[in-house]
Amino acid sequence: MNNRTINIIVWALGAVALILIIWWVQTDPTADYLVSMPGADNRGKGLAEQDVKIGENFEQFATDYTEMSETWPRFRGADFDNISKSSVKLKEKIGTPKIVWSVELGEGHSGAAIYKGLAYILDYNEEKRSDMLRCFSLADGKEMWTRGYNLNIKRNHGMSRTIPAITEDYILTMGPMCHVMCLDRKDGSLRWGLDVAKDYESEIPLWYTGQCPLIDGKTAIIVTGGKALMIAVNCETGEKIWETPNPNNWKMSHSSVLPYTFGGRKMYVYSPIGGLVGVAADGPDAGKVLWETPAWNHSVVAPSPVCMPDGKIFMTAGYGAGSMMVQLKENSGKFSIEVLTEYVPKDGLASEQQTAIYWQGHLFGIMPKDGGSMRNQLVCVDPKDPKKPVWTSGTENRFGLGPYFMADNKLFILNDDATLTIARPSTSQYIQLDQVKIIEDAHDAWAPFALANGYLLMRDSKKMVCVDLNL
Amino acid sequence: MENNKTQNRRKFIQNGVRLSLLLSLGTVTAAALRKVTTDDYVWQIDPFECTQCGRCATDCVMKPSAVKCVHAFALCGYCDLCGGYLKPDSINRDTAAENQLCPTAAIERRFIEEPYFEYHINEDLCIGCAKCVKGCTSFGNGSMHLQIIHDICVNCNECSIARVCPSNAIKRVKASEAYLVKGDFSRKPKA
Repeated sequence: MNNRTINIIVWALGAVALILIIWWVQTDPTADYLVSMPGADNRGKGLAEQDVKIGENFEQFATDYTEMSETWPRFRGADFDNISKSSVKLKEKIGTPKIVWSVELGEGHSGAAIYKGLAYILDYNEEKRSDMLRCFSLADGKEMWTRGYNLNIKRNHGMSRTIPAITEDYILTMGPMCHVMCLDRKDGSLRWGLDVAKDYESEIPLWYTGQCPLIDGKTAIIVTGGKALMIAVNCETGEKIWETPNPNNWKMSHSSVLPYTFGGRKMYVYSPIGGLVGVAADGPDAGKVLWETPAWNHSVVAPSPVCMPDGKIFMTAGYGAGSMMVQLKENSGKFSIEVLTEYVPKDGLASEQQTAIYWQGHLFGIMPKDGGSMRNQLVCVDPKDPKKPVWTSGTENRFGLGPYFMADNKLFILNDDATLTIARPSTSQYIQLDQVKIIEDAHDAWAPFALANGYLLMRDSKKMVCVDLNL
Repeated sequence: MENNKTQNRRKFIQNGVRLSLLLSLGTVTAAALRKVTTDDYVWQIDPFECTQCGRCATDCVMKPSAVKCVHAFALCGYCDLCGGYLKPDSINRDTAAENQLCPTAAIERRFIEEPYFEYHINEDLCIGCAKCVKGCTSFGNGSMHLQIIHDICVNCNECSIARVCPSNAIKRVKASEAYLVKGDFSRKPKA
């Protein structure tokens, strides 16, 4: 082989190698990949607007009932702490539960409120296709009257999920599609109605509204989202008292507004989708934002803020969000907020749906399914370090997404299948007293409890029962 | 005489072919019956025991794994916010890659009607990582779950994922009941 042939071969090999290198560099190994872009699911344009005449339907069934002395007038009770202050002695061993009455409900998770012998619950009637506030006699379950409005909605993990607010004069409800209805408590007559989603161009939360409306004195406090963040309405007349601007376009969550007094100011604390906010409740700046932080921002927030006397505020949410403890500070009338700790659910006290209870300087809550080794356990923590459990209920005592509250120095916990557990509240250990099944074949017993005069109202997704816990 | 001979030979061949076909059919039928009736065992995942550790994706001898996500539609909530499809705290509830939990985009999300969405698993893309199962179990109805797919599984005598499964969720089941699909069976109470 002569030099010329060798040169030709070398050059040919070089050319081939060069071509291969160019091909290798130019070839995109991801050329066959499909890019996942928004819109591939062909999402619809949202629910069609409905012409809703709030409060149009009324039926009276009875007028006489047994008047009682006690109330559970709203979400988390009279003091917003989910602790009954009643002196009525309750059973700690239930044995066979004494079910005084029960009633079938539309599928949902709305809870009852109780006012002096009458129980109120916002239900969805699937046959009549209407939202209706139902009033029952607490003593015997006799239905007194209903007031509601026609509305077409579909099942979406239940259709009802809010608790009415009751005062001596008024009843305030908020329906699944953000329809607010204010009634006269004594006869159920309509005071006024408000279509929040329509009037404020706000987004109806996933799985429908979870915000329990608030009556503070004679003022209705409602989070709207959209064109305003929060509004105050005169219960008597329906006139707007103030509107909080919403420059951040924060959205309504499933959380509820909690009144809180700190640093000499009364405020409404709320966790919208987008942040955490305190709105002045009184004074010349009522309705103005006193403080806010975008640090707490999660796509779904169901639990409400737990505000503690020293300015700590505990927030938690499900779907992997975890929890955050913030410290509110006041200096010469100015408020500031500092994040003390933030963590994922497996690292400390967290909750998906229910709001934690603050009792004797400790927080109590049931961990979500993604709570690591503590999943579904009842946990007690010191707010100074919510990542370090003081105690847990242990692997043999796990619960679900159901409610829990305290009354007569007892902690009542409802499991998803309507098994009621009674424990002794303690800051040192879990002490179980009794456990009994209340509703057979129950599912998704998630609605908060209501208790008055020893009558405990609870429900699963389709049935509400009244249990006599009187000793 | 010659004609009879030809006919006999043809008949002989025809009968032979018929007999062969009959024997083949019989053999296939017997084999199929045997497969159905005999209690051979295959590996399967009990979805109620599975803790979604992710080892099915990494430890199966098949690449990608013979373990795939299956979806029990009867249990699904058809949610817009699907814990099996969307990352926790996703920026938006849509099909953009940054919002999808599945690393291979194996779940197809389709709008049905307000407010429902349907979720289909693309078996060819699924690698059995269980991320969607973890999300669906933690935040939803648990309709998404893992199963060993038997037209992919080579049924090793010593299943490599069963060896490493931390919750002993992989067990031998009868070949005639090779799948433990949620909704089709419920957790049997422990004796």
